[in-house]
Amino acid sequence: MIGKLLTSDFLKIKRKGLWFLTALGPIGVVAMQMVNYGVRKDYLLEQSEDDWGYYLLNVHSFTPLAIVLGIAILTSFIASIENETNAWKQLIALPVSKLTVYLSKFSVLAILLFLSSTILMLVTLAYGVFLDLGDSTPYMEIAKFAYYPYFASLPILALQLWIASVCHNQGIPITVGIFGVIFAYSSFVLPDWMIWKWPSLMNQWDEPVINVVLGISIGILLYIIGMIDFARRDVK
Amino acid sequence: MGSILSAEWFKLRKSKMVPLILAGPIIGLFIGLTSNFSDMADSGVNEWYSSLISMNLLYALLFLPLISGVFASLICRYEHQSGGWKQLLALPVTRGKVFAAKYVLIMLLVMAMQILYLCSIYAVGLMKGYSDPFPMEIVWKSIFGGWLATMPLVALQLWTSIMFKSFAAPFAVNVVFTLPSILAVNSARFGPYYPWGQPFLMMNVGGNTGDVFFVPWDQLLTVVGGGFLLFFLGGYLYFQRKAI
Repeated sequence: MIGKLLTSDFLKIKRKGLWFLTALGPIGVVAMQMVNYGVRKDYLLEQSEDDWGYYLLNVHSFTPLAIVLGIAILTSFIASIENETNAWKQLIALPVSKLTVYLSKFSVLAILLFLSSTILMLVTLAYGVFLDLGDSTPYMEIAKFAYYPYFASLPILALQLWIASVCHNQGIPITVGIFGVIFAYSSFVLPDWMIWKWPSLMNQWDEPVINVVLGISIGILLYIIGMIDFARRDVK
Repeated sequence: MGSILSAEWFKLRKSKMVPLILAGPIIGLFIGLTSNFSDMADSGVNEWYSSLISMNLLYALLFLPLISGVFASLICRYEHQSGGWKQLLALPVTRGKVFAAKYVLIMLLVMAMQILYLCSIYAVGLMKGYSDPFPMEIVWKSIFGGWLATMPLVALQLWTSIMFKSFAAPFAVNVVFTLPSILAVNSARFGPYYPWGQPFLMMNVGGNTGDVFFVPWDQLLTVVGGGFLLFFLGGYLYFQRKAI
């Protein structure tokens, strides 16, 4: 059943711009570094001995912002596909359980974001090689900076999907997303328990893996809460 | 014109989204109370300046451009639902007046939010017990300047909000243009020409205090004024021809 729901959800997002945005996010993040390095490459290379590490940090300064805003946009898109034509009612009237409907929506978003992270990894690598930052390309580090923020941001995805699917007025989830990006931008002053800090991979132990573990576990928890709440509500 | 404006206001009030303007002061309080300026406290500068600089940075750089787009989408929301455009335009009103009324209402909302944000600056100072005199003139300049700088942004957002039915699409456009301003305002060469960087440049109290606002007049007129004309006329003409 979930397979068919996934197919139908992927059909629904066709030609709505979601695939485009999925690719635009990571490319945009690296494109900003293209501008940055294009304008003042010599200055930036002087900043650090480890040119690759410094480049990755520069890329990573935009990744959390792009992820938080991207999640807000994609979740709201997915929800408004059903909201706009009151299609929730028709969807729920099919012989599917509400839990799987929610699971399918979440899976589509998780797949899109995973794809986004993969594109981020490839584009980061490609531009880094183009910049000629040194002989030893840190493949592991590049993969870390692409996939760790993804797993660390799963709680935000679960929260935003929850809000977007139960609110009729999409202004509310979008505003929550804006608050999220403000939090993500000032993550160095936030306490460690705030989920918007996690994509930045900062914590007091200086151990990014903790954010990944927290992200996956709290993400599952928030997902279950959202799913149960969604299933209990009346569809108007 | 007045009756269209009051009709727009009623529709907005009944959609119960007016409290959204409280998001401005909430963000102001959050930034003001979390950031720590102790290293600047002893340098002899007016205590308000250090908190103003860090509050205005986040508020004007990301929050103000993004939230003004949400206002624009909210104002078009009731028309997008179940054929509201048809009902509205069947009334004896011109499309141009409807567009102008919606624009004016968004700008009034942004103004209200700016004033509430001003209150939050004052509240942060009171909570932290600042004793220096409140730099009223500079704060007003930055509040009013930030408001002026959102004019072209709101015009573009109104345009895209009329164009797309969903909330997410105009917001995506907004994000695509707003995020690069983090880089743009750091560049002395490109920053002055980037419309989405203007709210920050006009609210940045560290700017050139010799001018009426914190940016030169010609920059204000060409980038903010020119951007406003371009986006407003674009949206206006688009709405005139839009099939509803």
